[in-house]
Amino acid sequence: MRSTLTRRLATSFAAVLLGSVALAPATLAADVTDIGYVDQAALSNIASFTNANRQLATFKASLDRQFVHRMHGIRDAGIQARIAQEFQNKLSSRQRELFGPLLQRAQVAIASVASSKNLSVVMDKRIVIVGGQDVTANVIDLLNGPGDPIPPVNTPPPSSVGYVDQTQIDAIPKLKAANDDFQKFQAGQQSDAQTKLKGAKNDADRQAVLKDYQAALADKQKQEIQPLVDQTRDAIAGVARKRGLLLVIDRSNLIYGGTDITSDVTTALK
Amino acid sequence: MAFAALAGCAGHEATQPDPTPPPADGRVGFVRMQELVKVHPLYSQLAHLDEDMQALQLQSVGSNVARNGADIAAAERALQRELDVAADRTKKVLGQKQQEYMKREQAAIDAAIGATAGAGSGGDAIAGNVARDARSQQQNAARLAQANFDAYRRQVADQSNAAARSLQHSLANRASRTYRARAEELAKHEADFALQEETEDASERLSLRTKLSNLALDDDTRADVKKQLDALDRKEADALGALKNRDAETLALLQAHLRTTTQAELLAAVGNLRKRTLAKIDARGIATRQTLVAQLGVPATGNGVAVPNGIPANMRSKLQALHATYQKQFDADASQTIARFQKTRADLTKRFRQIAGIDADAQASANRQLGALAKQRGDLYSEMVAQIGREVKMVAQKRGIDVVVSDVVAPAGGVDLTADAEKDIESLHE
Repeated sequence: MRSTLTRRLATSFAAVLLGSVALAPATLAADVTDIGYVDQAALSNIASFTNANRQLATFKASLDRQFVHRMHGIRDAGIQARIAQEFQNKLSSRQRELFGPLLQRAQVAIASVASSKNLSVVMDKRIVIVGGQDVTANVIDLLNGPGDPIPPVNTPPPSSVGYVDQTQIDAIPKLKAANDDFQKFQAGQQSDAQTKLKGAKNDADRQAVLKDYQAALADKQKQEIQPLVDQTRDAIAGVARKRGLLLVIDRSNLIYGGTDITSDVTTALK
Repeated sequence: MAFAALAGCAGHEATQPDPTPPPADGRVGFVRMQELVKVHPLYSQLAHLDEDMQALQLQSVGSNVARNGADIAAAERALQRELDVAADRTKKVLGQKQQEYMKREQAAIDAAIGATAGAGSGGDAIAGNVARDARSQQQNAARLAQANFDAYRRQVADQSNAAARSLQHSLANRASRTYRARAEELAKHEADFALQEETEDASERLSLRTKLSNLALDDDTRADVKKQLDALDRKEADALGALKNRDAETLALLQAHLRTTTQAELLAAVGNLRKRTLAKIDARGIATRQTLVAQLGVPATGNGVAVPNGIPANMRSKLQALHATYQKQFDADASQTIARFQKTRADLTKRFRQIAGIDADAQASANRQLGALAKQRGDLYSEMVAQIGREVKMVAQKRGIDVVVSDVVAPAGGVDLTADAEKDIESLHE
């Protein structure tokens, strides 16, 4: 639950901030003191988030029981999938309802702290191994304090750290087609492996099935996915160099600021 | 599949050197964490856990797939065939045993009558002729009566089995409803309790937060107020946690109680059902024997063994004792055969349930196993990443790098510390 929340925090922050980030100029200040990070796990431990989590857990427990009841005796895979989707939608809707306002408030608090400390970028703590400014405590203080945090007046300063939105890059037709093809291949291999596993007589047989399955996936990935991966990486590196960036990270690891180069990368790849 | 993410993990520098060097900035570095994890001494354990999880997921998904559509019908038909074969085999074995014991008993009765006749009235031949004549008439009638009786017994047993299955289903449904209702009631109570706790502490929390917002507050007082706020949160979380633990215990007890009472109720009801079935079969057995006696004017033992009329009382009681002995031996032998059949039936029933997806325990157990493996994997990965982090810090210090980031999508102008960190991590193997 926490990791899901954390991912959602990162995604939501980045998504909302995307619109407000100004495109960085070609020449950027290479000052590493403007890099900050936040421990999102610590943020998710504050009272308002734990309360929301508790409410969601209660709702999910009730939903799970209803789900088991509804699925009882249903053997048609299509109907099973439809019911599962219906329950997933209910859960997602409740999750948005509970966490939406909290995430918005947290995002304003992070922006406020980042602005007051002149940070050009705030990342997820998990990817920062050395250095950077930890602003978690300041953000928590703001969130726990009375009233709503005040949004900063200025947009984030230009940053030497760039980011790309993987979901947009994955949606480029040729990449999407390759991805879909791989998914189909994987589903077919999985089905074959399951049939073979049913007939396996001992552990050695099962191990052999699993090895074959993994090898088939690895081969397919090497042949059809790897060339596109190389092409994508080269395009990102090229755009980053042109714009004088030091690093490019994924949007899911970015919480505030940064320089969005997604559009340049998608253009280069098309 | 995330192409950009894969790009970050692909180890580009090693395979395709960049022709134009990026702008140098000695203060920002990066490492490719996936590569460092692969050279860590504990990587083999991590890979092993990944394989275990993948295998479990495949098998778990596989069993779900088997529950759908034509697969399930085919599997059920195969099991039904196995059950029919086992039932037929049991009936055949029981029939053979019955014939065998009848022969043995008849031989013993003939021997007993022959011995008495020889000792009392002048020869085995007379007694033997009497017995043979009676046997040839009576065995035909007894065979017919036995066939009718067997058909009746099968019919009654089938009815009884169907009633037992229906009862089992109904009891299981009732227990499930009771459990669900209680679980929902407790969940609602937990939610109410959490809300009540929060409401009760709301004014105190607000007061503490208001104090915190006072800019003139000195550090000690601020720390103290924070502590009080933390204590308040802990108190609420502990109280709710304790309630949840109690509720979980209550539900576990209820589940155990429901399982025990349902089992006991089922056993009692099935016992009664069996008693009634046996009583019906016995009554029909007695009626069959009485009909035989009325038709042929001879008493017959329970197995249809012929006993001539007009034998002395002491011989009759001796024959009855003989019959009781053979009946007892047959019952003991037959009960072993029946026990073997019941075990086969129980195994097949269990497989029926698994196929129909009723064996929720098995599914839950697979999920628990997956959860435990995922936790073990997460813990191990965190431990490895923490150790790698320490090594990277030392490398960064040596090279004067201020900030190091992992999982970059493209390196651009940052300094790649992966190779240096790899060397340090590989030295951990030594």
